[in-house]
Order: sequence, then structure tokens, then C-alpha cells
Amino acid sequence: MHGQAVEVTAPPDLSEQAARALLADVLRQRGGDAVVVDCSGLVEPTTIAVARLLRVVEDARSAGHDVRLAGVAPGLRRRLAGIDADLLAAPGTTRERRPWLVAVGAWTLDLGEAGGRVVSLMRDTLLVLARPFGRNGLKWDRTLEQMALIGARGTPIVVFISFLVGVVLALNGAQQLRNFGASIYIANLVAISMSREMAPLITAIIVAGRSGSAIAAELGTMVVSEEIDAMETMALSPARFLVAPRIVALLCMMPLLTVASNAAGIFGGYLIAVTSLGLPSEGYITQTTQWLYVSDVLSGLVKSLVFALIIGFVGVYRGLSVRGGPAGVGLATTSSVVTAILLCIVATSVITAILYSAS
Amino acid sequence: MSDRDAMVLQVEDVHAGYGDHVVLDGVSLAVERGEIVVVLGGSGSGKSTLLRCIVGLLPPSSGRVLIGGRDVNAAADSEREEILRDVGMAFQSAALLNSMTVADNVALPIVEHWGTDLPTALMLARMRLARVGLGQAGDKMPSELSGGMRKRAGLARAMALDPTLLLCDEPSAGLDPITGRELDELILDLKREGDMAIVVVTHELGSINTIADRAIMLADGRVLASGTLAEVREHQDPRVQAFFRRETLAEKKGEALLEQLEQPA
Repeated sequence: MHGQAVEVTAPPDLSEQAARALLADVLRQRGGDAVVVDCSGLVEPTTIAVARLLRVVEDARSAGHDVRLAGVAPGLRRRLAGIDADLLAAPGTTRERRPWLVAVGAWTLDLGEAGGRVVSLMRDTLLVLARPFGRNGLKWDRTLEQMALIGARGTPIVVFISFLVGVVLALNGAQQLRNFGASIYIANLVAISMSREMAPLITAIIVAGRSGSAIAAELGTMVVSEEIDAMETMALSPARFLVAPRIVALLCMMPLLTVASNAAGIFGGYLIAVTSLGLPSEGYITQTTQWLYVSDVLSGLVKSLVFALIIGFVGVYRGLSVRGGPAGVGLATTSSVVTAILLCIVATSVITAILYSAS
Repeated sequence: MSDRDAMVLQVEDVHAGYGDHVVLDGVSLAVERGEIVVVLGGSGSGKSTLLRCIVGLLPPSSGRVLIGGRDVNAAADSEREEILRDVGMAFQSAALLNSMTVADNVALPIVEHWGTDLPTALMLARMRLARVGLGQAGDKMPSELSGGMRKRAGLARAMALDPTLLLCDEPSAGLDPITGRELDELILDLKREGDMAIVVVTHELGSINTIADRAIMLADGRVLASGTLAEVREHQDPRVQAFFRRETLAEKKGEALLEQLEQPA
């Protein structure tokens, strides 16, 4: 014992203000002195008064003061019944924010783990795709179902938006090209930018929003309702039943949707050129077929395959790593769309840079 | 056959947890054919985690789980599939696949593991469903069933492949007393009919008294008591006594807090 015990009295109805004064009172004592808080005034305290009292004790103890209660009345005793003894934080264990270096380290580890899990998902999926037929092969019925959802049901919106993009490209291009008397080059502008860049990207953004999010939400819900666990205990591989059909469906449907998008965009440009810009219909078509190379279309299709893999695996990964119940499903869905679109745009930049430097 | 071979399930000194959080801290358990072992314990005592370890969903950090003498967690993919084929698990939430009908749910493992054609598998699925009183519900979607019906369907699915080991996670929790009793009776019938080892996780006293041949009680990830139901009931540990007498430790808790408040920190 360093010094003698000092006694302070807790006022009968421990108001917010009184509690603050009490804490100040306790903290004013010399460190090391034992402080005894006389609670005999708290005869029938309200729960909130008890909470204030305990807060005073906790704050004072974590500030290094030796505080204890005395004169606990039966009313106060009743309020404390059934509460675990480890309620109060032990002094010096108040939660600290993680230092930034630790946070960065943890984040890197998480990222590494995520990467590892995506790679093992891809491996399992590839194993299924390696022998697509037979008893342990791909589930074709589920794959066709996914193809219908991703491809057939997605076509109208892809076609409509691509058509509008073609229209907008033509209108914007016309403004500039007219100054040089080169209006007919609108055909080149629309055809080449659609097939190389716009069609795969528009398709990817729409598919990420429609189907990538659906994949994440469906799988996330299955995680939450223990369906994935149930499948694993029945030795039914989620990679075979859930992942492979979706990846295969995306790989088949993305290029087809991209072709549809190409056609719709080029048609949109054509329609504007012929109707409102007064270009000759035949001239526009000749110009398009003359300057649009197969390689332009193919580079777009290659991109669409890459986008399909990105959207598929991001959706699957986000869905399967859902934690924290239904709220987690919402977060996973949102982040699957954001991550997929981000990665698609990064990928298209890289691929375009490589293709241009190669040619 | 030696004693060891007669054991369908052996859990040997299993430690497991999530990250740094240790949930199971050295649990052992053995279950033989034709008996029901009940795993008891309060919430957070590690009951469900033990089941997850047994079915290989959570690999233990140390210790072994042997099913029919084979280690689930050490097995390669194809052997693991063989081992799991002998295990049926009825989840607490039933965990039926919501995208397919109840009959398709039960038929799925049959088609996949026994390689039968779909009509045969569906007939067998309807037999399993009729066994749990759901003969007419096969064409419904899981979301159209009540909680008790869903649990029974989950049990039917767990029984689909004639398992040697049946695991039930809280079969009667969240059900009204009558439906809960029916499920208990069902589990007893299954025990009488089949040559199965059954592990039931529960904290319902009624269930325990009805179905248990043997019991183990977990607390804080350790085995607190194990033996026949009578032995466990007579165990001297106050937590065991409190569990069987439905006491709470509330008063004692408050005393401990007060003591802490009245002592110097």
C-alpha cells in the first residue's frame, strides 16, 4: 500500500453530471492511493445509474487508480445479478487501433490468401473442364441453364445499349469529321472502335452487372444457408456443380454477346449516318467492310474471353467468401460488380497496349 | 473384429478453431454401431464445431478423426469421397439446396454417388421422404415447407446413401415440443432399423432423456463428462449439475462481479 484509502461518496441519483464529477473526483487523487467509492446512497439505482457507476470504475482503473466500491446496497446488488465478472476491461487492455504497418501487413496477407483461393478454385474448375464428359464431368444441364440466363436473357439489353453507343459515337464523330469533309470516315470510327474496344467493354459491364452480381448473390446465399457445407459433406464438389457451369457459360456467351453488340453498334452508327447526316447508304457499307479487318473483331473477341474469366471468378470468389450472414451477401454482390468492372478495364488497357505495340 | 474395428467413429484428441480462436481443445469420442451418442453443452461449447471437424469441413489443427478406421482429413480426394459416402449429416438449418425440389435434393447424392438413373433415384428419394412422413412433399420447393418438415427432409437426405454414421445437429431445436418429439422418435426408429452409429448434438433435455445411450458433455472446448446417460447425470461438476437441473449460474456470476468491484484492482 502506498498511501491510505481516500473515500469519495457517490451521490444518491447518479446523474450524468454527477458521474462526471465523481470520476473527476477520483482522478484527482494521488496515483497509488486506494480510492473507496461509498455507494450506500444508491439504494434503488436505475440501470443507467449503475452503468454510469461502472463506467467511472472502469475509466479510473484504466487510468491506473485503485478504485473499489463499498457500502453496496441490496438494490445495487440486484442490478448486478447475473452479469459476468469479466465485464470490466482489465486495466491496460483497452482496445488500441492497429498501427498502420500492421494494418498494411494484414491487408497484404488477406490479399495473398484471396489470390491463393482464387487459384485453387481455378485449378478445381480446370480439373472438371479437363474431362467434360462422363460421370464426374461437367454438369451440362446446369451449364445450359446458365447460358440461357447469361446469354439469351442478356441479349436485349446488350443490343439496346450498344445501339445507342453506336448512335452517340456517330453523332460525336460527325461534328469533328465534317470540318475536314471526311464525314464518310464515321464508318471507320464506329466500326473499329466498337469492335476493338467498345463492344467487349460494354458487354463486360452489362454482364458484370447482370450476371456477375447474380453469381455472387446466389453463391453467397448458399454459403449463408449452409448449402455449400451440405454439398461438401455429401462429397459433391462445388467446383463441379456451381463454378464450372457458370465459367463455361460465361466463356461461351461473352463472345456471342460481343458479336451482337458489334452488330448493334455498327447498325446504330449506320442509321445516324444515313438518316441525319445524309451519307449514302451503300458508301457507308463499303467503307465499313473495306476498313474493318477480321483482326479488329478477333482482338475484341479475345478481350471478351478474358473479361468472361474475370467476371466469373470474381463473382464466384466474392460469393463463396461471404461472411456475416445476409448483410455479407449484399456487400459481396456490390464488390463483385465493382471489382469485376475495375479488373476488366485494367485488362483492356493492358491488352490494347500489348496489341498496339506488337503491330 | 477387434474393438477398434467395431468403432464407426473415433475422434482422437482433436484441437480446432477459427484463426487464433480455439474452439475445441482436446476432444475425444468413440461411437460404435447401433448406439446413439448425444453431445451436450451450452451455446459456444464447441458442439457444432465438433460436427464440422467430423465431416471434414474444418480440418483439426491436431488430432485425428477416423470414420470406419480411415482419417477423413488426411484422405486424398477420391478416398475422402468414399469415406463421406458413409456419413449422413442433418444440418441444424436443414441446408436443403433451395434451387431444387425436395425430392431432387434427396435424389442428388443417390445419382451422383451410386450412379443410378434419375427415375430410380427419385423412387428411392420418395421412399426416404415417405419414411420421415413427407411422402407427399417431394415436388415442393424447400421454401414451401415448414421448419419441422424441412428438418425431416434434411434427415431424409442424410439417410439417402444408407450411411453407417449419421450426424444430427440440433434435430429438435426451434421446433414445437410435439414436432420435436416426433423427430426424436424418428431417430430412435432409425437406430432400431439400421446398423448405424448416430451422433446427435443437442441441448434439449427432453431429447437427451429420450434418445441417448451415451452422452458426452462439452464445456469450453473440452470434454467435461462422458459415459452412459446415467453416469453423466450423476457427474459431480457443478456445470453438469446445473445443466441437468436447468439452473442458471446467474446469481453466482453477479457475486463474482461484486467481489471484483469490492476488491482492489
